[in-house]
Amino acid sequence: MDRDANKKDRRRKAPGASKKMDHAVENGPAEMSGESQGVEPDAGLSPTLQAHIGRHVRAVFDEVAREPIPEHLLRLLKDLERSGDK
Amino acid sequence: MGSLRAFAVSLCGDKERADDLVQETLFKAWNHLESFKEGTNLKAWLFTILRNTYFSERRKRRREVEDADGTYAARLATQPAQHGHMDMQDFRAALVQIPDDQREALILVGAAGFSYEEAAEISGCAVGTIKSRVNRARNRLAGMLGLEDAESIPLAEGLSKTA
Repeated sequence: MDRDANKKDRRRKAPGASKKMDHAVENGPAEMSGESQGVEPDAGLSPTLQAHIGRHVRAVFDEVAREPIPEHLLRLLKDLERSGDK
Repeated sequence: MGSLRAFAVSLCGDKERADDLVQETLFKAWNHLESFKEGTNLKAWLFTILRNTYFSERRKRRREVEDADGTYAARLATQPAQHGHMDMQDFRAALVQIPDDQREALILVGAAGFSYEEAAEISGCAVGTIKSRVNRARNRLAGMLGLEDAESIPLAEGLSKTA
C-alpha cells in the first residue's frame, strides 16, 4: 500500500520536485506516450522558421500583455490588498 | 498582470473569459497565500493557478457544451486571409486551433519568458514533455500556415498558401 502511495506521489510531484525526481519521471513509466524519449526538441524546423514563428507568438502575446489592465481587475487587486491589511 | 492576462487570452481565445479567469486566479491566489513560499517565483505560481483553473473548468464544461471552443476556433479560422500574407489574424487563428497543451507550452516558453524547467513545473509535467509540445506546436503552426519551406519564408507567405 505504501509503495502505491509513493508512486502516485512521485507522479504528482513533478512541479517543484527535485531535479533528480524530474529526471526519473522523464524516463520512467510516467511518460506513457514516450514523447520525451530521444525527441530532438526542434527536429524538422529550421532556426529561421522557428524564429519566424517565435516572433509571431511573442507579437500575439505582447499585444494583450501591453494593454492597460481593465479597471475592474485593478479594483480587485486594490480590494484584495485592503482586505489583507485588516 | 499584463502577461497573466495575455496568457489567459492565449488559453481561452476570448478576452472576456480571460479576464474572468484572471479574476478567479487572483481570488484563489489571495485565499491561498499561505501556500506561496516567500522568495519563490510569484509569476510562475500565478500562472500555475490560472492554467489549472482553466483546464479544470474546461473539463467540467466539456460535459455540458460539446466543443464550444472548437466552434469559436473554426469561426476565427474561416476569416479570409487578407492579401495572402501571414498577418496576426491568421497566426492567432492558427494558434487557437492547435491542441491546448501545445499552445500552452509554446506560450510559456516562447512568449511569457519561462524556462523549460519553469514551464514544466507550471504545467505539471516533465521537461521533455514541454520540449516535445513546443516542437509539435511549431510544426503544426508551420504546417497550417504553409511555412514548411524555411528558405522561402518571404515567398511562402504569398505563394505556398493554397486556398
